[in-house]
Amino acid sequence: MLRLTRLAAMLAGLFLTTSAQATRIDASTYGYPISNPFEATISGTPPNLRPSVPDDEDIKQSDYRLHLHTDGAKRLPDIFWNGSSLPYRLARQDGPAPLIFIIAGTGAAYSSGTVESLKRLFYGAGYHVLQLSSPTSYDFITAASTSATPGISRDDAQDLYRVMEAIKAQHDDLQVSAYHLTGYSLGALNAAFVSQLDEQRKGFNFKRVLLLNPPVDLLTSIDNLDRLSQAQLQLQGRAASFDLLFDKLARYFKDKGRIEIDQALLHDFQNSRERLSTPAMAALIGSAFRFSVADIVFTSDLINRRGLITPPQQQFNYATELTPLFQKAAACNFRCYAEQQLLPMWQVQHPGASLAQLNQQVSLRALQGYLSNTPKIAVMSNADDLILGPGDLSFLRQTFGPRLSVYPLGGHCGNLDYRVNTDAMLEFFRG
Amino acid sequence: MVKRLLLTALLLGSGLAHAEQASHNADEGFTRPLQDLTFVAGPDTFVSASSAAMQVYDPLERWNRSIYQFNYRLDQWLMLPAVQGYVYVTPKPLRRGVSNVFSNLGDVTSLGNSLLQLKGQRAMRTTARLLFNTLLGVGGLWDPATAMGLPKEREDFGQTLGHYGVPSGAYLVLPVFGPSSLRDSTGLLADTVAANNLNYLDVAESSRQHPQIKVLEAIDTRYVTPFKYGQLNTPFEYSRVRYLYGEMRRLQVSE
Repeated sequence: MLRLTRLAAMLAGLFLTTSAQATRIDASTYGYPISNPFEATISGTPPNLRPSVPDDEDIKQSDYRLHLHTDGAKRLPDIFWNGSSLPYRLARQDGPAPLIFIIAGTGAAYSSGTVESLKRLFYGAGYHVLQLSSPTSYDFITAASTSATPGISRDDAQDLYRVMEAIKAQHDDLQVSAYHLTGYSLGALNAAFVSQLDEQRKGFNFKRVLLLNPPVDLLTSIDNLDRLSQAQLQLQGRAASFDLLFDKLARYFKDKGRIEIDQALLHDFQNSRERLSTPAMAALIGSAFRFSVADIVFTSDLINRRGLITPPQQQFNYATELTPLFQKAAACNFRCYAEQQLLPMWQVQHPGASLAQLNQQVSLRALQGYLSNTPKIAVMSNADDLILGPGDLSFLRQTFGPRLSVYPLGGHCGNLDYRVNTDAMLEFFRG
Repeated sequence: MVKRLLLTALLLGSGLAHAEQASHNADEGFTRPLQDLTFVAGPDTFVSASSAAMQVYDPLERWNRSIYQFNYRLDQWLMLPAVQGYVYVTPKPLRRGVSNVFSNLGDVTSLGNSLLQLKGQRAMRTTARLLFNTLLGVGGLWDPATAMGLPKEREDFGQTLGHYGVPSGAYLVLPVFGPSSLRDSTGLLADTVAANNLNYLDVAESSRQHPQIKVLEAIDTRYVTPFKYGQLNTPFEYSRVRYLYGEMRRLQVSE
């Protein structure tokens, strides 16, 4: 018996040393092939370097909807009927298994690409997988958010927690041996706040929590993303337009002789003569986020009747043209949303509070004490992550110590489906 | 005093030098990925690009939006449950077989349109597909042509018209069929008429007598179409789909 404990201690020691070593990933041996962080962010990992995962047809999964009857859902005009309940996806194993929650990133739905690829990974490793939309996504704002104004991390965590408990109750036949939690990008920040909330509520007692490419200082992250849409492009006098991108794609397909849209498309495209320049890729990433911001700006304003985008007396029916409202919302970037909607709402309870003070409360820094004393939480980030600023990785190191892994490449979330990373993820949850 | 100042300065200096040296490896190797970009002030790329994407010729927008909503509900309440039932009662190889049969029939349309566009090589490849699938695979029940490196190429009459310079015209949302344009709707009509007259493998004739074939084709079409309403998860889905449809067609025509 004594020998057994000693053996266990030795094994634990071994595990600790390997995990401590794993936190410094050597650039020369890492092997991730894309050194441009913008390209990595857009095209992810080349298909041949991804792990082998089950086919969709071999995953037992279904979409469900949760009716929470929030005020937001009640106040929504009829034409947004699809927003009144929250969709989510559950992939279930046959017998008892651990369950992992995955929280999507900024504006992303439970069914978006990154969530799907994480689902395949964990499902293949024997987990029940539950996919959740980001609190900043359209469906969550309308169907599950108390304030319909996402961005106050503690409030978002409460909303998420309510959703997670309701889902747990809805599937009480599911045999769950332990609960795990992960999230990427903004979803990683959400996961940290949810984990802290769980310490009081004890609804799940998460065994392990993994934060993938989290923002550290939220204001830095949103300013970085806003700036991407200000990147100077070489357009030779033409107006910026997505058509230019499609023109490039058209020429690329013409060269290739056929249209084939598959996983390898982006990599082949970036290796062709039509490849995008770095500023163009930056602007494209910025644009992808801005589409999400426009949705948040519009939806939050509409539900709360703030009158910034939608005139208070506006009537909606099934034929209403929404294009002018989109154009108004599109002109408002992340910081504009924070200043015009988030901060004023926060100031109702915190009179005179500044954006900087709000930022302190909603960023990872607000949880430093909790995070540094909670061994079950780990972080994976990249040295070239677009949403970080100087000092952010140092903060993560101070806070997490050996529980932080910094990969030399990958941009923002581009290496989440790289085999080295997926192996490390599975290893972390197995431990 | 001077000595002390000097000493302090030295200490400070060496401290600074030391910090500088350390900062090379410090901050965990953070590379500041945005530092090489140049940023411009004023209205940003996204505002102009997204507003350009919204400028699609759509004179029937009010009508189209209503049909879009109709299709959304039809999909939610009829098509998707039908597909779910279909997946539940059929094994995977059978579903694959069904998809291959119908996509094989689609090849007849593709062939006609490839010939009309005088895309010789394309027509040959499609012909080869048709032959392989009909001769080797029983009625196209499995898809050996794909396995043999001849990927599926769709050509429809809308593309043929586009190839000869017919502009797409107004955006149209067709009941049940979904996003289209004046040109592509004409094309769809022509393709349907042609397929019915050709009566390849007697399918058109048989399905007149057995409408279940049409139903199966509809279910299969839905089954192999990855798009789901609501999936873009935005209040502006109509506009986004409208733009993407136009660009997709532009790609297909130009290629």
